[in-house]
Amino acid sequence: MRSLTVLGAAVAAGLVLAFGAALSQEGAPVKIVPRLTGTADPMALERVPALGRPVVDDVRRMRNYPEQPPVIPHAIDGYQLTLNTNRCMDCHKREFTEGSGAPMISVTHFQDRDGQVLSDVTPRRYFCTACHVQQSDVPPLVQNRFQDAKDIGRKP
Amino acid sequence: MARLKSLFLRLWGALLRFWHIVSRPSAYLPLGFLTLGGFVCGVIFWGGFNTALEITNTEKFCTSCHEMRDNVYQELTQTVHFSNRSGVRATCPDCHVPHNWTDKIARKMQASKEVWGKIFGTISTREKFLDMRLELAKHEWARLKANDSLECRNCHSSVAMDFTKQTRRAAEIHGRFLTTGEKTCIDCHKGIAHLLPNMTGIEPGWKEAPELQGKGSASWHGPERAVSAYLAEIERR
Amino acid sequence: MTLSRREMLKAQAAGVAALAANMSVPAEAQPVTGGVDSLQIKWSKAPCRFCGTGCGVMVGVKEGKVIATHGDMKADVNRGLNCIKGYFLSKIMYGSDRLTQPLLRKKNGVYAKDGEFTPVSWEEAFDTMAAKAKATLKAKGPTALGMFGSGQWTIFEGYAATKLMRAGFRSNNLDPNARHCMASAAYAFMRTFGMDEPMGCYDDFEHADAFVLWGSNMAEMHPILWTRVTDRRLGHPHVKVAVLSTFTHRSSDLADIPIVFKPGTDLAILNYIANHIISTGRVNKDFVDRHTTFVKGATEIGYGLRPDDPREVKARKAADAAATTPIDFDAYAAFVKDYTLEKVSALTGVEPGFLQQLAELYADPKRKVVSLWTMGFNQHVRGVWANQLVYNLHLLTGKISEPGNSPFSLTGQPSACGTAREVGTFAHRLPADMTVVNPEHRKHAEEIWRVPHGIIPDKPGYHAVEQDRMLKDGKLNFYWIQVNNNLQAAPNSTGETYPGYRNPDNFIVVSDAYPTVTAMAADLILPAAMWVEKEGAYGNAERRTHVWHQLVNAPGQARSDLWQLMEFSKRFTTDEVWPAEILDANPNYKGKTLFDVLFRNGQVDKFALSEIDPGYENHEAKHFGFYVHKGLFEEYASFGRGHGHDLGPYELYHEVRGLRWPVVDGKETLWRYREGLDPYVKPGKGVEFYGNKDGKARIIAVPYEPPAEVPDGEYDLWLVTGRVLEHWHSGSMTMRVPELYRAFPGARCFMHPEDARKRGLNQGSEIRLISRRGEMRTRVETRGRNRMPPGVVFVPWFDASQLINKTTLDATDPISKQTDFKKCAVKIVPVSG
Repeated sequence: MRSLTVLGAAVAAGLVLAFGAALSQEGAPVKIVPRLTGTADPMALERVPALGRPVVDDVRRMRNYPEQPPVIPHAIDGYQLTLNTNRCMDCHKREFTEGSGAPMISVTHFQDRDGQVLSDVTPRRYFCTACHVQQSDVPPLVQNRFQDAKDIGRKP
Repeated sequence: MARLKSLFLRLWGALLRFWHIVSRPSAYLPLGFLTLGGFVCGVIFWGGFNTALEITNTEKFCTSCHEMRDNVYQELTQTVHFSNRSGVRATCPDCHVPHNWTDKIARKMQASKEVWGKIFGTISTREKFLDMRLELAKHEWARLKANDSLECRNCHSSVAMDFTKQTRRAAEIHGRFLTTGEKTCIDCHKGIAHLLPNMTGIEPGWKEAPELQGKGSASWHGPERAVSAYLAEIERR
Repeated sequence: MTLSRREMLKAQAAGVAALAANMSVPAEAQPVTGGVDSLQIKWSKAPCRFCGTGCGVMVGVKEGKVIATHGDMKADVNRGLNCIKGYFLSKIMYGSDRLTQPLLRKKNGVYAKDGEFTPVSWEEAFDTMAAKAKATLKAKGPTALGMFGSGQWTIFEGYAATKLMRAGFRSNNLDPNARHCMASAAYAFMRTFGMDEPMGCYDDFEHADAFVLWGSNMAEMHPILWTRVTDRRLGHPHVKVAVLSTFTHRSSDLADIPIVFKPGTDLAILNYIANHIISTGRVNKDFVDRHTTFVKGATEIGYGLRPDDPREVKARKAADAAATTPIDFDAYAAFVKDYTLEKVSALTGVEPGFLQQLAELYADPKRKVVSLWTMGFNQHVRGVWANQLVYNLHLLTGKISEPGNSPFSLTGQPSACGTAREVGTFAHRLPADMTVVNPEHRKHAEEIWRVPHGIIPDKPGYHAVEQDRMLKDGKLNFYWIQVNNNLQAAPNSTGETYPGYRNPDNFIVVSDAYPTVTAMAADLILPAAMWVEKEGAYGNAERRTHVWHQLVNAPGQARSDLWQLMEFSKRFTTDEVWPAEILDANPNYKGKTLFDVLFRNGQVDKFALSEIDPGYENHEAKHFGFYVHKGLFEEYASFGRGHGHDLGPYELYHEVRGLRWPVVDGKETLWRYREGLDPYVKPGKGVEFYGNKDGKARIIAVPYEPPAEVPDGEYDLWLVTGRVLEHWHSGSMTMRVPELYRAFPGARCFMHPEDARKRGLNQGSEIRLISRRGEMRTRVETRGRNRMPPGVVFVPWFDASQLINKTTLDATDPISKQTDFKKCAVKIVPVSG
């Protein structure tokens, strides 16, 4: 909880800063609110919120840009991804997608280091979770002002 | 180990004494006493046997051997069968020993092989265990396949599954494969309580057998298939 | 005409269909409003902002905003791949709490240590800061002034900082956070080869027959290098992977030989392997005779704690930890003979069979081995030893400096090598492996910098942990922290770091892009430009120098650290900071500002703005009126050229995806010290470790010594700290990317399920984790990616709301002064109520 309040305050501070210039021109004194004050103790002990739970609603999430690896919208609890076996491939491998109904791994995943297309997933892409992650059911800690390319530079 | 040995010795001693007595005809004792006594002895013997059976049928007993404790048990602790939302959990025998009496005794007899394994140290190190893992896993898969995943079904009855409470994906697949009897639990749910051995060549349950491909009702794309089959038929003509 | 995304896609599909049908589409049905130009993205290359792997990324910019990033197909390091963090680089600069204005603690309109942060102008910020620095210099001299930098500084920034501190303020109290990260690796390189940085490179991965991970979890910490290991292992069945660690983690998932050893006992395993190589007659005699010499290291060297700690008082050789004496092969063989299989198996808790398999990977002359390590070795009270012991194995077998045979020290920060080590921002170092204690080195540096002789102080400054102690003790009073979050990163922050920052005698300045816990504990916060908001250069773990252009502007008044350093230097004149006798001897330096003597010295300001690529913005260059980056780079490069650290001409780096030094005649060097591969090896030598005068590497005899703190009856658990895949270091960037945050939203305490049950703790319970130094609260995790053995817990340190370093011990390797974040004793109790 603490980190949330901390960052919430920080967000507020950021906003104050963003508009600070405009305000100060009007002569209003700008003060930064909590957490950034001299009295708040970054070393304090506070309650830790419960661990977030993974979102497993099977709903595919829009990507921020085409190159972004899609997030995993289903449970992967207990899925083994080892030298011996790859549970992800049991569904997402080309040959198994018909039976499983899962999306096939992207075509880029068939290319080896030299760009050659192989007949199966390239070994260098074997450990899926290096790029594909689950999402927890927690709100973002800090808002992000990243802008989608479609909202930039498009003139009617 | 020492416990096992002493248990066997005690049983053996009791058996010998028993044989010594029963091999001679009774000279003095009335029939009533013998019948009653026989009944009492039977109860005691039966109770003792079952107690011994029960002792060997606990997780505590299983994990008293380091082979089990350091390998398969450690893996179990990471899974949903060890800790979960409701705290209902499965212990070793829940999955690996049949619950009805005859099958249980049969399995216990088989366990004598495991006693040999213990004595000869077949999996006495992690290294040896990893080397044996595929073979050991295959035994269990074969057993569960043969008994239609009986030990799974002791808790997870397919008819009691509420498909609306499952994820759509799971409900879909259970509807297609499980309730139709086309597959049994272990076909898809391998490695749910332990790490898997090298799975090269062991395909997931939903991979259709080659002879079924293009025929079964199991396809997602039944209508398209029908159309393409129809077109192929016309081509041939 | 406006089209929704869906309509646009439909229109495009119709276009394609029409094209396929060879029909023309009427003009008003054009699917792209504003024409195809509105879809254009400007793509430029840059290295990734996170770990030391140094992946190349392509950064897409549209209208002054980064809108996408992806792995650079042309970058040799990663060939188009990124890890989850790399794929989200595009969002790291856009956290809504970016600092955009200097903030000073004020009360009643003036600075006060207990005041509230108030936005101020850069003028006021620098005025206050300069006044504080001058007062400190006047009262206590240069040793009361310090700076804490980072392996995330660009090469220019680190270089400007070392000049400003050593030649400007005449203080060697400059240390990077790389001290916490790889000082042990750097010291071991110097002690073994006389020259820093690995001999091999990542290309070794494609040639190796075996990989041995010594306490490294590459699957999470160096995911892209792990893709190369995985590629090799899965693509070539004869390849073996051994993973050694104090717990089982994601890298263990690829292990043929999984080894979990008791914390600190890796030293014994290393000596056992040496013993195995010798006793089975597999020493490469010819190589050992021609290219190595043997030494014995001092023992009982203490733990780098405060000198009055009983453990230091007891340590016989604490004052002389780095001492070595020459021995011969026989003495060395006799020394390691004690490390028998049985003894080492019992000490480490590792099965003999696995130890033998591991030893055979090294002993087998037909197997090419890459050893890999990072924090498991480096954050170790015997980290320098551990590094050197692994070199022993490669030297005994001659498996070094050739493709596939490589002892390889991985790094954690993007420019820990390029900036912290090669530029020399450590308290004792100068550029190109020179040190401040060597009068010739100082003289050489003064000549290149065009400053009078005698300017650079001859005593090493305070190292990272010592800086915190000196702040607390009030001996270091003016302190500037750039690009790092040391209050979250430093050990024993309860006992040392925080009291040091809040000591009323001290003035703490923090330059950062976000309000980190360190920034909040400061007195002045300076808003910093980050990553592609400035032109930069990083040097990765394989000696690759990678340069990028400024691609977007920093928000508000945020300025790069380079701008801050150079601008601040304008506020000091030589008369204020240099001794009168030096100025009297060199009167032409009188009355000049530090900016004049350090950056307007005829070298740094040599290149005109016209040399800048017109396609890119360059804020600093425009501000100062000359191409600062090129000037700093070329001056810095003059230290190494001709001395085995050659860098290419600056422009070249804007063209390529980095080059591995030494770059001689425009060609990079992949493997050093071997004839034919390294232009510095003299013909006929075969192999030459030319960093040492005799051309030979050192094999060292050092024993197993126990860690500084071991669990006991009360504090009954080992605490190991580290990172997770999704967050990088203190999380100041990754926690602000919603997808990364939600992938791993908070720290937790990984522990063995039975350890948890014994304490009555459920999965997910809240706990208090307590050490002799401090406590923190977190939650129990008995499952997931890290599988702990009984008695060991792991807590990552990325979470600002759960500061694990409040509990860690500030013990260091006594030679490298690098902290051991992997071994201290804690207890865990449930949170009641």
